[in-house]
Amino acid sequence: MSAVVLTRAAAPAPERPAPGRGSLRRALRVLGLVGVLVLVVFFVGPALWVVWGSIRNGGSFSGTNYSRLVSYGEGLGIYLLNTSVVVVVTVVLSLLVSIFAGYAFARMRFPGSKLLFVGILAILMVPHTSLLIPLYIWLDRIGLGNSLLGVAFVMVMYQMPFSVFMMRNSFESVPRELEEAALIDGCTTFSSLWRVVLPAVAPGAVTVGLFAFLAAWNEFVTPLILLSDGNKYTLPLALVNLVQGDWGMIDFGALQAGVVVSAAPCVLLFFVLQKAFVNGFTNGAVKG
Amino acid sequence: MIRRRVLASILGTAAAALVLASCAGGGSADPASSGTGAAADPVTLTMWTRSVTATQSQALVDAFNAEHEGTIKVELTVVPFQEYLQKVSAAASGKNLPDILAANVIDGPNYANLGLWADLTDRIAGLDYADALAPAHLASATVGGKTYAVPHVMDASALYYNKVLFRAAGLDPEAPPTTLQEVADDAAKIAALGDGIGGLYLPGNCGGCLAFTVFPSIWASGGTVMNAEGTEATLDSAEASSVLGIYHSMWTDGSMIPESRNEDGSTQNTAFESGTAGFALLGSKALGTIAENDKLEIGVAPIPGADGGTSTFVGGDVIGISSTSKNADAAWTFLSWTLDEKTQLDIFAKAGFMPVRTDLANNEYAAADPRVVLFNSLVADGQTPYSVRFFQTFNDPQGPFLSLVRDAVFGDGPSTLPDNNAAVTASLQAS
Amino acid sequence: MTTTGAVAPPRRSALRSSRASTARSRRAAWRAWLYAAPATAVLLVLFVVPLGLAIWMSLFDWPLLGRAPELNFPENYTSIPDNELFMRAVGFTVRYTVIIAVVLLVLSLGLALLIQESKRRSSGVLRTAFFLPVVTGLTTAALLFVGLLSPSAGPIDDVLGWFGVQVDFLGDPTMAMVSTVVMMTWRFAGFYMVIMLTGLQAIPTELYEAAALDGASRWRSLRSVTIPLLRPTLALSAVLIVTGGLVAFEQFYVLTRGGPDNSTVTMVMTIFREAFSQFHLGAAAALSVVVLLGLVLLNVLQLRLVREDDGAAS
Repeated sequence: MSAVVLTRAAAPAPERPAPGRGSLRRALRVLGLVGVLVLVVFFVGPALWVVWGSIRNGGSFSGTNYSRLVSYGEGLGIYLLNTSVVVVVTVVLSLLVSIFAGYAFARMRFPGSKLLFVGILAILMVPHTSLLIPLYIWLDRIGLGNSLLGVAFVMVMYQMPFSVFMMRNSFESVPRELEEAALIDGCTTFSSLWRVVLPAVAPGAVTVGLFAFLAAWNEFVTPLILLSDGNKYTLPLALVNLVQGDWGMIDFGALQAGVVVSAAPCVLLFFVLQKAFVNGFTNGAVKG
Repeated sequence: MIRRRVLASILGTAAAALVLASCAGGGSADPASSGTGAAADPVTLTMWTRSVTATQSQALVDAFNAEHEGTIKVELTVVPFQEYLQKVSAAASGKNLPDILAANVIDGPNYANLGLWADLTDRIAGLDYADALAPAHLASATVGGKTYAVPHVMDASALYYNKVLFRAAGLDPEAPPTTLQEVADDAAKIAALGDGIGGLYLPGNCGGCLAFTVFPSIWASGGTVMNAEGTEATLDSAEASSVLGIYHSMWTDGSMIPESRNEDGSTQNTAFESGTAGFALLGSKALGTIAENDKLEIGVAPIPGADGGTSTFVGGDVIGISSTSKNADAAWTFLSWTLDEKTQLDIFAKAGFMPVRTDLANNEYAAADPRVVLFNSLVADGQTPYSVRFFQTFNDPQGPFLSLVRDAVFGDGPSTLPDNNAAVTASLQAS
Repeated sequence: MTTTGAVAPPRRSALRSSRASTARSRRAAWRAWLYAAPATAVLLVLFVVPLGLAIWMSLFDWPLLGRAPELNFPENYTSIPDNELFMRAVGFTVRYTVIIAVVLLVLSLGLALLIQESKRRSSGVLRTAFFLPVVTGLTTAALLFVGLLSPSAGPIDDVLGWFGVQVDFLGDPTMAMVSTVVMMTWRFAGFYMVIMLTGLQAIPTELYEAAALDGASRWRSLRSVTIPLLRPTLALSAVLIVTGGLVAFEQFYVLTRGGPDNSTVTMVMTIFREAFSQFHLGAAAALSVVVLLGLVLLNVLQLRLVREDDGAAS
């Protein structure tokens, strides 16, 4: 590792010498601030409406939206557990698959690589709707019908174009010199991948994991078609059942409470993972 | 090295979780759901139902399971109703249908025709009260003289009005209109109140809802919507033309609420509940779900024809045994139990649901609310349209019926009916 | 060992003609395939096989249940031009895709740059704010907008009412499309922002410093440092957005239901309808195959354009 220098330089934030005309600058600044404010309202406004609506019922504050959610069907706990199983398997396998494949695509030249890459991208190009019935028949045939594991495998497949593309980009942006230095130091390819390159692509891996989490956590159609027992339902399925309500009218109170409950873990996760991003953002890349 | 540690810990947790997950996955392979076992084991039946009838289905299943502990157990799976056909078609193509399969009554002919259900003709004939089962429901599940399903949940459409707005507009809240023309006149008076108040709220962007609410007026006027086989549309008739003409005039003179044009059925309760609509056309179920408030006092009347008469669309769900089920006898035990007098009264009528048997329409529970009595009595004159391509033609948002109504009501008026009627017929006859 | 001052990308595949023996390169290829094996397995088992089944179905009149499928090739394909709904949907879907691609690419890059330039504390707040909608599922997001835009259930109509403005968000073909684009932007801008940020942070800061030393303006360094080095990221985003746009389904299925009057029907909606409402499984599969072929062609072109000078797998 001796040849590798990981700089932790302060953020560059290039200080721009202020051109004299202060009032124009200030006007632009105010304009910019207003713009940012508009953006924040646009992105956060609906979320506030959701939270507000979730704690109200018939014009006053009430927890009924949440209590209906908690006691719905088999109980919120079951749905959370089922969803967690799908999510964990999806995240782990997505990382595994994309780190190895991304490395191969970025660093190795092998016959058939183009075909494989286009094949992976083709997953994006087939509407999920078109694959549902074939997937249903096929998974049933190989013993993965009506199982959470089957749903997770399908999610890994759906996420694969993004995951692999993302990891390939990440590995490509790591200077080769870094690895070569490690090889000179006597590492094998595998251990240089593991010990030197992997830390450098951590932000990419975190992104892959995060979006695998979000996709699996929120997926609706795949578990709907593949799971046939109410006690295997995932959270979004239970939620849509509840929201479509008894009589086919959207129950907005339940929808809002459901969104809060299902979004909370995701927001929390993002908060935690931000650290990984922040390190990446402010320290700049790994430099050789 | 912070980044590496973050990643390592993520991977670590994930790996531990994978072990857990694979255990859970292994557990799910347990064959508990495969049903038939040794004679001593209870039979487990799987059952699917649309989310719109979850309450009734769950109540039935819970009571049945409690009574049949140790012999038969029904496992209910509720499927979001918008995706029900999707779910059923995937399962059917994988030959994985549940033992008991419920369906929207309008899909009855389609399911029966596709062979999703087992023939129940003889079993139904064996029931003492076979004649009392909702005839429109039975008819919808009958193809080629064979009946494939029994009534499950009952619904009917009616004219809802807001008594608060009736009083404000100087109308008699106890004398609802008896012709569609009177509805239009009253709606105009209510709309004249201004201040965000509108006359009539119509689910104008929802084909299924429009069939549910507009067909009764055509029937009440003495018209039909299709021939008996459901292969030929008759929506260019004089009756259909006068009914849709009245709606068209309500739209052009402003007594119909503008949002009607966009209403896809998902927010119409909210709109009526807010107390800003004089009239709405809703199902029996709205009675239990819409809360009265200081702006809303609910009155219910039958849907009238253009110049009088009344009718209703008998909706709801039917339920049958899937053709691939290996537990047909146990499944029939469940189905016949749900139709029992005791079940119908103690579980359905008591909770305010409409019974599915005509001989139980007048029961002690219904007597408590005259509006429930009204719904139960409506069913006698009601109809359920019959076509194997009903959903594809009338409910489909891209189907020809929605265009027909929208052109006639929001567009150029009833003069557009002949052309669009031909398109509806073409869809009914498509394969 | 420093890349300072070098504006060219520091990676660059080693294309030098190798004098290594065939055995060595075969061993290398073997090892590479080993790395790619898990991805290949997922691709084959979970995608290629079901896709093959879909293609197989497209050759048949495939019923739901009961009678056996009947071979009717090429009828499912030759009848596509007669499917008026699908043919009109092609034009609409392309139009929607162009709009959403421009809006999302520009906005998400803008958001990423805004965050990169912000002070540390405010950048965290902004990042979370912009990312917030990404945690909702697409179906859920669409349902939320049904509520938000509904005059009876949502607040937007009331707020606009204070200013005496009334907008028919879903009742007019143009507004229905605009509303959907706004919803998709709300839901996805934060997603692509994060991807852009991941790409931005890989650009060595020395390059900016060098550009600043050379007296380049912000705009100049954006154009000659950021954009070129962000190309792989932009390619990824463009591929995701364009393909996502062309296979758009939930956003319209839930929010506009293809309305008003079939003005917002996408290609996948017609496939969905063919399969699950008309039960023409064979015809639906044929439509899917056609859409797939179109998209593969488009993406091969797109990737070639974006990464034309990249020798690595593309």
